[in-house]
Amino acid sequence: MATLTTPKIEARSVSKIYVSARTGDKVEALRGVSFSMKPGEFVSIVGPSGCGKSTLLSLIAGFATPSAGEVLFDGKPIDGPDPARGVMFQDYALFPWRTVRGNVEFGPMARGVDKTRRAAIVARNIEMVGLAGFEDRYPHELSGGMRQRCALARLLANEPDMWLMDEPLAAVDLQTRVILQDELLRLWGDAGDPAQRRAVLFVTHGIDEAVYLSDRVIVLGRRPGQVKEIVDIDLPRPRIGARTAPRAAALIDHIWNLIRAEAAQAIVEEP
Amino acid sequence: MTLPLRIKAPLIFFPALLLSWECAVWLAGAAKIMPYPSGVALAAIRDIADGTLIDAIAGSLRRVITGFAVAALLGVPLGLLMGLVEPVRRALDPIVDSLRAIAPIAWIPLALLWLGIRGNAALFIVAYAAFFPFVLNTIQAVRLIDRKLVDAARALGASPLLVLRAVVVPGAVPTVMTGARIAMAFAWGSIIAAEMAIGIKVNPGGAATVGLGQLMVSTLYVKRDINGLVLYMLSIGLVSLAIDHGVRAFQRKATPWQR
Ligand SMILES: Nc1ncnc2c1ncn2[C@@H]1O[C@H](COP(=O)(O)OP(=O)(O)O)[C@@H](O)[C@H]1O
Ligand SMILES: [Mg+2]
Repeated sequence: MATLTTPKIEARSVSKIYVSARTGDKVEALRGVSFSMKPGEFVSIVGPSGCGKSTLLSLIAGFATPSAGEVLFDGKPIDGPDPARGVMFQDYALFPWRTVRGNVEFGPMARGVDKTRRAAIVARNIEMVGLAGFEDRYPHELSGGMRQRCALARLLANEPDMWLMDEPLAAVDLQTRVILQDELLRLWGDAGDPAQRRAVLFVTHGIDEAVYLSDRVIVLGRRPGQVKEIVDIDLPRPRIGARTAPRAAALIDHIWNLIRAEAAQAIVEEP
Repeated sequence: MTLPLRIKAPLIFFPALLLSWECAVWLAGAAKIMPYPSGVALAAIRDIADGTLIDAIAGSLRRVITGFAVAALLGVPLGLLMGLVEPVRRALDPIVDSLRAIAPIAWIPLALLWLGIRGNAALFIVAYAAFFPFVLNTIQAVRLIDRKLVDAARALGASPLLVLRAVVVPGAVPTVMTGARIAMAFAWGSIIAAEMAIGIKVNPGGAATVGLGQLMVSTLYVKRDINGLVLYMLSIGLVSLAIDHGVRAFQRKATPWQR
């Protein structure tokens, strides 16, 4: 049974090797990754591109299985996707043939929530992310920021225990990103009771974003992806409105120094 | 007049062409073996007035639509199965490929032997022609489905059945629709050939229950009406355009999420 001391997520020496079905080539995406997450904790993963951030997230989501090691959720090995672990994808993965309402409604529908309760859940979540009035739009009729909000509403409508987010803010412009960071913190409960918060695993390539949002930042190195360091972000909450603390700048510098050389390497190696 | 050249040019060119065609045929004294515009127009008035043309188009269309529907009903599920289950695709691929290589009209003799001349043979040919675009495009459609959308649905709690119903099927619709357009074109193309091949035997006197193909055969061998033949050729083209237009309109309606 999960108790207060059971980690929300526990990764034990996780490795992942992809084998190409066509050529048989092997790519070692992750090697010996271990970390754990407390309930309600906001943890970010940063690292140069191709270091296995998305791979790690997909193992925790249950889309793929580790080649070695194991990942526990509430103390139990992860065995396939579970609505308790909501996922937000890098390019949102909204269903193009469903309207905003249809996308947000999908989770409750899949879990068999009846129509009236579903309508209430949908209305509440669409309202919460500021998409009221856009219920009948298809994803292609939305701006990048609105799609992002729709994906967030779809995630929240399922009331997952944990949010898995793969570079959710990467595709929007800088101002929108800053606004959405604050909204994300607000929805998570930055100023609220820590016991009410969900655990969040947040993949980003923005180091300042990771520092601003997180309780801890996992720094991955590349080829194969390994944990370089897990950095405690000892900044006080609430953080909304306090972006430029000197301590934050020092943490950003520290993390940047950890990955600078490899990030430069990644640029010339990218296929 | 300030009509754009794009409209003005054909507006002048086309009547000029028809007129010179008409004159050329009469001047050459070739009206017995060459069609000419006024003759085609008269044939149109005659065949529309006595219902011949409409009946023939309706007869062909009925078979095309039935054969198309049969092809869709068999082809789409088979395509789904082959697209979703790798071993099934591997097993059936060579069979589908070799059958597809046989031109539909090459089946006419066997179809006649098995199904007789009362229209079922033509139906078989049409269904056969329309079947492969459905199968191939459905296989392709399944392969093109965004893996992330399947994952997204699963992470939201969808059962495999719901993934099939709410992700795979709608995700496949645009590509299957493209297949339907090809299938329709193939169906309409082969019905004429099938009816021509069958028509010679069943309708030497040009009796009822014919399609455009039978009508053309009897027009050629019995009536020797060259203008009538051209009228039927034009009708085939027009119906084909109308069908494609209709399928496209349906495609837009069925996939409102597409730009
Ligand atoms: N499905 C896959 N098959 C083969 N190789 C993959 C697959 N997914 C990712 N990879 C490889 O694994 C490595 C890590 O990828 P990924 O997890 O996407 O990195 P990141 O998200 O940090 O950019 C990369 O080298 C990538 O090419
Ligand atoms: Mg990634």
